[in-house]
Amino acid sequence: MAITQDGVELGVLISEKAAEKIKYFAERDGIEGDVGVRVAVKGGGCSGLTYDLSITADELPTDKVVEQHGVKVMVDKKSYIFLVGTELEFSDGLNGKGFVFANPNAKKTCGCGTSFSV
Amino acid sequence: MVLQRSALHSISEGSGAKFHERFGWELPAAYFDVLSEYQAATMGAALHDVSYMGRLKATGADGLDLLNRLSTNKVIDLEPGQGAPTVLTTDRGRILDVISVISLDDYLLLTTSPGLQQPIIDWLDKYTIMEDLTVEDVTEDTTMMALLGPDSQAALAAATGLALGDLEPFHSRAVAVAGRPVSLIGQPLGALPGFALVLAPEDAPPVWERLTALGACPMGVDAYEAVRVRYGVPVHGQEMGDSYNPLEAGLIGSIDFAKGCYIGQEVIARLDTYKKVQKRLVSLRFSPDTAPSAGADLQEEGKPVGTVTSAIKIPTTEESIGLGYVRSASARVGNRLELVGSDGAWVEVLELPELFGPEKG
Repeated sequence: MAITQDGVELGVLISEKAAEKIKYFAERDGIEGDVGVRVAVKGGGCSGLTYDLSITADELPTDKVVEQHGVKVMVDKKSYIFLVGTELEFSDGLNGKGFVFANPNAKKTCGCGTSFSV
Repeated sequence: MVLQRSALHSISEGSGAKFHERFGWELPAAYFDVLSEYQAATMGAALHDVSYMGRLKATGADGLDLLNRLSTNKVIDLEPGQGAPTVLTTDRGRILDVISVISLDDYLLLTTSPGLQQPIIDWLDKYTIMEDLTVEDVTEDTTMMALLGPDSQAALAAATGLALGDLEPFHSRAVAVAGRPVSLIGQPLGALPGFALVLAPEDAPPVWERLTALGACPMGVDAYEAVRVRYGVPVHGQEMGDSYNPLEAGLIGSIDFAKGCYIGQEVIARLDTYKKVQKRLVSLRFSPDTAPSAGADLQEEGKPVGTVTSAIKIPTTEESIGLGYVRSASARVGNRLELVGSDGAWVEVLELPELFGPEKG
């Protein structure tokens, strides 16, 4: 199932800065092949669902994959429903939070921002 | 509605038990008389058919990991043979149900409150995204008995030939009773020692008969209810549900404050840290000659402070006792409250029950 807006399929969008960080971590961890990031949701966290980010080159046959800024963004079918339209940003500096999700599907978010409910 | 019947129904019928409906089941109200059944549970050993409790079978590699993320206790490290009680909570920190997670050799046995099997299956399914986990309702495929009382361990030792003194609460062991395989689980009822036996329905009659032959007294739901209230044990629909959080219900012993996030954790941690728990489950004793019932309101110096949720008469002493919720400021042992609508009647706070003990240290 693809969710579209004005005829364009929506997925998980990553910023250029987030893409740079993903490439940096992939290189640091010695991940070979096409650099990718798996964005998923898991049950748990204070509000019911929590984000799960992993840097990997392994793709699943049921993944939705969109390449952005040289990074393969992989989202499994079930997580896609909760994540469609989400923007992934990287916030650094002293008060930086690392990877930050802006998810239009989240109705409530917990205090630390890593958990949400829909 | 067709009432469900336990595999022990014909045995109960044969022993002259009177039946009534509870939780959609046709259950023995009493086998003999409530007084002797209550005395057996509190001073000897009593055997109660708890097949009406929900039983779920969870298979797959990720069961403990998911349950650890969805409930209050730390269950992630449970090895086969171990188990723990835990509370499934909503994102507002309210109680969905208290379940026991029993780790067996190749699956997890989850026991639920009566009738909550499907809501819990749906809840777990909702949060199963990529995990390897299948949950099925095995309530009708199994029979469950509770053996309760100070002599319960001795009765089981005689039945199994094993000492069983080292079987901790919620831990389990595969044993044989009357030659039939039984999953034996340490399952006290509050401070009352006890065990649960889970077995195949066809094995239930001989096991029941063996245990009663060894002196365990069959106990119906009326005596069980009196024992439950006496030992301060909350039940779903009366003392537990989405109007209450686990701290209010005295379930602090099943909360792990150090394990990290689970659904509702933020709310529960904040209530605990800032001492914001508004009300508390209390055991109550009523003045003689009062006949309180669940739903009765309580007040202190003319101001409403709480509600009675369960009320019984202790069969041995005829004392009226109960459970209820009272505002935290009034929930002090020995505090006397008034029962609304009963002139001059008083209600004393006996204790603040903690079903699974105090906070884990």
